[in-house]
Amino acid sequence: MQSVDDFKLFFENELSDKLDELEVPRKQAVRQSILLILIILTCIGGGIAGFIAGQMIISIACGVALIVSAIVLGISINKKVKYIKKHYKDGVIRPIVHYVSPELSFSPTDYISQSEYNASKIFLTGVDRYKGDDLVQGKIGATSIRFSEIHSEYKTKDKDGKTQWHTIFKGIFFVADFNKHFKGETFVLPDLAEKWFGGLGKMMQKANFTRPELIKLEDPTFEKHFVVYGTDQIEGRYILSPKLMERITELRTKAKKISISFINAQVYIAINVRKNLFEPPYWSSMKKFELVEEYYAYLLLCVNIVEELDLNTRIWTKE
Amino acid sequence: MDPLYIVLIAVGVVLLIIIGIYNSLISRRNQVDNAFASIDVMLKKRADLIPQLVNTVKGYAAHESALFEKVTKLRAQVKEVGLHSNERIELENQITQSMGQLVLVSESYPDLKANENFLNLQRNISEMEEQLSAARRAFNASVNDYNNGIEKFPSNIIAGMMSFKRKPFFELPKTSRADFEKTPEVNV
Repeated sequence: MQSVDDFKLFFENELSDKLDELEVPRKQAVRQSILLILIILTCIGGGIAGFIAGQMIISIACGVALIVSAIVLGISINKKVKYIKKHYKDGVIRPIVHYVSPELSFSPTDYISQSEYNASKIFLTGVDRYKGDDLVQGKIGATSIRFSEIHSEYKTKDKDGKTQWHTIFKGIFFVADFNKHFKGETFVLPDLAEKWFGGLGKMMQKANFTRPELIKLEDPTFEKHFVVYGTDQIEGRYILSPKLMERITELRTKAKKISISFINAQVYIAINVRKNLFEPPYWSSMKKFELVEEYYAYLLLCVNIVEELDLNTRIWTKE
Repeated sequence: MDPLYIVLIAVGVVLLIIIGIYNSLISRRNQVDNAFASIDVMLKKRADLIPQLVNTVKGYAAHESALFEKVTKLRAQVKEVGLHSNERIELENQITQSMGQLVLVSESYPDLKANENFLNLQRNISEMEEQLSAARRAFNASVNDYNNGIEKFPSNIIAGMMSFKRKPFFELPKTSRADFEKTPEVNV
């Protein structure tokens, strides 16, 4: 596996020129944005002044100037932003994906489908809006993996009839083949009830009707962070071997909040990430190594899940 | 309200609580039996693999016959002892060890190691052991649940009246546990 120093070298040799190239339109776009803001402020000021002085002609002129400049500059800025985004994904993110593993392909506009998201049954709240991008897929050893950014939301209406959007999940959604056969469904979810309510929480988990049976496992560290539900007590334990429990606990320290489900011979992992990943920055420089390194770290985290969860070990009857 | 009603209601509530506790103890006990039945199924499936394993290894490693006899004898013995007895657990543990030894023997016979049949068998055995380990853990979890029930207040009072006893866990011998829970090396 490559080290951070190796990646720094890669950054300097392979990405630096592309980033320099993209910095030019970004700086232009930023300058145009500032110009547009200044024009808007001046026009509003001029418009108000004209109105107070009773010179309607000035107000109208200011209004026309505002609209024209907003359209002209807006189109130009928008074009540049689109150009930057496209070339950032093709020229920066894609090489990083290939650097992580040449076996992987990257499609900036594709994402894990909503039907697959629903099939994972990790989130049971009905989805009203579903978005995603940056799909990475390929084979790591014997295991096929796929992951992308996903943002799912539901809506409510407040008392004035205004629609409000609430996030169900935002982050990376990961799907891979699992290395053992199984028929039922097993869920490993973050343990919130027990953390907050202790023994009472355990009782609440038992009475959770939206999930199958509670499976109590023997690893105390694992139990502290996760709650496990499954359709079959033995199958749940067959999947969650002592080793895998340790590995999932380990993964949690890196990925913070994760939820996992084992359904249809697949393992689904939802990793919560607040920010929008794999996007070029607009107001600050793209050449910051830390930002690119962060994207790289997330890619590496996902690809390493295969190793972390030992999915390539095929000593069981599933080939 | 008539004091008689109050007393009747109180008695009714107490009775309901007792019935609830009693039922939960019974379902925990049944859960233990149920979990042991699953272990039993796995153990039987594993026992069925023994003749296959012996036959395959025999062709390549004829002079390990002592080991073959031992494991075949153990298999026959298991059929004779009671379902959930310490003797049974002891015998099954010995089978685990002997089967492990048989698989280890293959290390010194390259032809055997390359045999397709043997590789298949080896996979089946690791699958079996993994499932067995899962069933054993499920069994121990239900025993733990049951034991908690008969020792914690207030259900311990009712358990005492019904003379429910603590049940033993399905333990593995220390040496084989390590083998069990580490991933065996298999070249696929």
